[in-house]
Amino acid sequence: MDDIKTTESSWQSGIAKNITFIVTKDCQLACKYCYLVGKNEKERMSWETAKAAIDYILGHEADFPEASVVWDFIGGEPFLEIELIDRICDYLKTEMFRLGHHWFNSYRFSFSTNGINYHTPAVQAFIKKNISHLSVGITIDGTRQKHDLNRIWKGGGPERGSYDDVVRNIPLWLEQFPGGGTKVTISSADIPYICESVLHLYSLGIHEVNINVVFEDVWQEGDDRRFEEQLFALADAIIDGGYYQDYACSFFSEHIGKPLDPEKENQNWCGAGKMLSIDAAGTFYPCTRFAAYSLREKKPIIIGNVRDGIDRNKLRPFLTLDRLTQSPQQCIDCDVASGCAWCQGENYDAADTPTIYQRATAICLMHKARVRANNYYWNRLFRKLELEGEREDYESNKRTVEPQNC
Amino acid sequence: MKKLVGQVTPVERDEIQRLFERRNGLNELAKILTADNTELYERLVADMGDTGMKFQQWWDRMAAQYDWESAPDGNWEINFETCEIYLVTP
Amino acid sequence: MLQYMIILLDDASTSFCHYEVPSGERRLIHLDDLRAAIRLAMIENLTIQFVYPDYELPQEYQEVIDTIDHSDIKPLLAVTPDADVVTINGWEIDNKSLSGRVAVLRTAMSELLAHTRAVKDLLAVVQRLNVVITDLTTLTDTNREAYMHWLNEVGQTVVELYINGQSPQFNLLTDRMMLAAMNNCGAGDTCITLAPNGRFYVCPGFYYDDPENDVGDLRRGFDIKNRQLYKLNYAPICRQCDAWQCRRCVWLNRHTTLEVNTPSHEQCVAAHLERNASRQLLTSIRQKGTFLPDKPEINEIDYLDPFEKLQER
Repeated sequence: MDDIKTTESSWQSGIAKNITFIVTKDCQLACKYCYLVGKNEKERMSWETAKAAIDYILGHEADFPEASVVWDFIGGEPFLEIELIDRICDYLKTEMFRLGHHWFNSYRFSFSTNGINYHTPAVQAFIKKNISHLSVGITIDGTRQKHDLNRIWKGGGPERGSYDDVVRNIPLWLEQFPGGGTKVTISSADIPYICESVLHLYSLGIHEVNINVVFEDVWQEGDDRRFEEQLFALADAIIDGGYYQDYACSFFSEHIGKPLDPEKENQNWCGAGKMLSIDAAGTFYPCTRFAAYSLREKKPIIIGNVRDGIDRNKLRPFLTLDRLTQSPQQCIDCDVASGCAWCQGENYDAADTPTIYQRATAICLMHKARVRANNYYWNRLFRKLELEGEREDYESNKRTVEPQNC
Repeated sequence: MKKLVGQVTPVERDEIQRLFERRNGLNELAKILTADNTELYERLVADMGDTGMKFQQWWDRMAAQYDWESAPDGNWEINFETCEIYLVTP
Repeated sequence: MLQYMIILLDDASTSFCHYEVPSGERRLIHLDDLRAAIRLAMIENLTIQFVYPDYELPQEYQEVIDTIDHSDIKPLLAVTPDADVVTINGWEIDNKSLSGRVAVLRTAMSELLAHTRAVKDLLAVVQRLNVVITDLTTLTDTNREAYMHWLNEVGQTVVELYINGQSPQFNLLTDRMMLAAMNNCGAGDTCITLAPNGRFYVCPGFYYDDPENDVGDLRRGFDIKNRQLYKLNYAPICRQCDAWQCRRCVWLNRHTTLEVNTPSHEQCVAAHLERNASRQLLTSIRQKGTFLPDKPEINEIDYLDPFEKLQER
């Protein structure tokens, strides 16, 4: 489909090992929807811990056979610890080369930042030094109103939004990362702003908006209808404005909303367990969402530490988890199951027992609303392209209707 | 201007992608490694020469094999996603 | 479906499985709770297994116990003629007292490997022997090899016993030959445990780990959340495994992998060493004559941990 831009999959998606350093649990902001319930200013990773983690990981090459690696840095706000990160990355580069490690041929440093410190000399020097191996995403939620609704500065006094402090850095970021995408998180209160926010992000020059609803059970009655209406409006705006050619919004995907084959499409959605997350104490987690500061109700799931290494028994449940085993019957039988996502950490946190094998279904109605909006979007877009003679393969791609269901 | 002039196999793509990534890695390592780290520095310099040579050999070999269209001021580019080769001219 | 209720008569009741009983004060179940449990078992059609401490119970308890059909699990020291299952901790065993009985021998791996003769002698007298290796999680490449040889050596004794007309039952070697499907720990699925505090647990091990981790009580009834996870179909590694004799200990699973439905590498490897030894045993017995003609051969396999097989897919 040359004429419709789709969201890019992440670098070496499905091939790369993702290793996350939780360098700090501090952040300048106190976003209202932030799932990190245990943020604080004390837990900062030391150089000794970071080095010990690297030495363990690179020293056990056989246990990490993935062809590529993404060294991911998160917080809190990772760029608060730019000096440490710079030291870590220099050490990683040197050690991967010194050891002749296979990852030297295929690695990235990845950041998800609130963008506030992006322009600072220290961050800029780091970017210039590592530009060919960097992936940096800046989170901006949309219009000033939408962004400042949730993404507010930490501290006492009157509530202050962070929109201006982030937006001023967007041009520099896009200059350095022209294909840069942003991540938008939608909670109940954000629904009325979805359409205008996505269009606003496009107007800032951001061509890729990765947007998702939160997995937590925050939804109010009627949210699905309101969500659907916003997506209808967004669909019309994208199609009528011709944005679909150069801009992408992850809400619209041609491949969602179909039943899933119980045998052929039984894989897990989430990559927890295939990733490795390390906190300031040198503790290993299957994903950051299983660290204590991410969990509301449950104890953290710890799979090892920098001294003793990884307890591979703790990874077995993650690596054998499949869709059907964790899904309730309503999800197995669902006619629009494809594209319905889940977060293993939220599943665990919301489960009735301490298990990762109970899928949370809080987003069920929201997913169904998204599917209806997607049907509308693709039917309208395909028809438009067909009428404009730009889509020769329209008929072959059109959704088929089974005669017996007519 | 960018013109599609050919395509390589995924195996051939993997080879040049690995060399491309290695070359980038060596270049960025060169920014932080100093000559006082003698052993590693010498390895780096040798590797940069070796990788650069293999990189060029790949293009020479593929160009001969596929007989791609060329231009006096142009250069070829590969799209790692699609394995497509483009001729880029000013 | 629940079929069995295990009743720990005292906090000091003997262990018949992998869990350890913490040393502490005796705490006998309240007589009213015992009566209520028996009544509930009748209503729910559950078979009761009473687990005894190493001291004699007061007469009124015995009278209440005898109001229902049941099985008794007793420690060796407290063996009386009416014990259905005898638990053994240690190697000072009077084989005569165990003649014709079902015995559960709890032992560390190193101790087991050092007492081959004692195990062979036991097999010759008991009706059935269940060996519980209490430190299974410490199985290493070194003792894995030794365990394999040990199983094959004891297997030779089993062959001889069969030739002599005996039919020894030994969980580590003969169960796999007899079974036609998985037969493992039923905790949370077919079995539930009542502790002396009047609350229900998935198994005694869960009680001793944390008494707050109950799954109901005598007043509320059973409340096993995520109960499907105790069933074989919800265990991705086990449901495609053919080490049918594996204990698949739910409590060990929870301890080692944090999930009740996922066994550790060590549990899988031990079970497969036993499975492979059973395969060899079956072949050896069949070389002596017709044996279990309706049972198929046990296939040769090239892995010891089905997890690895799953990961290859």
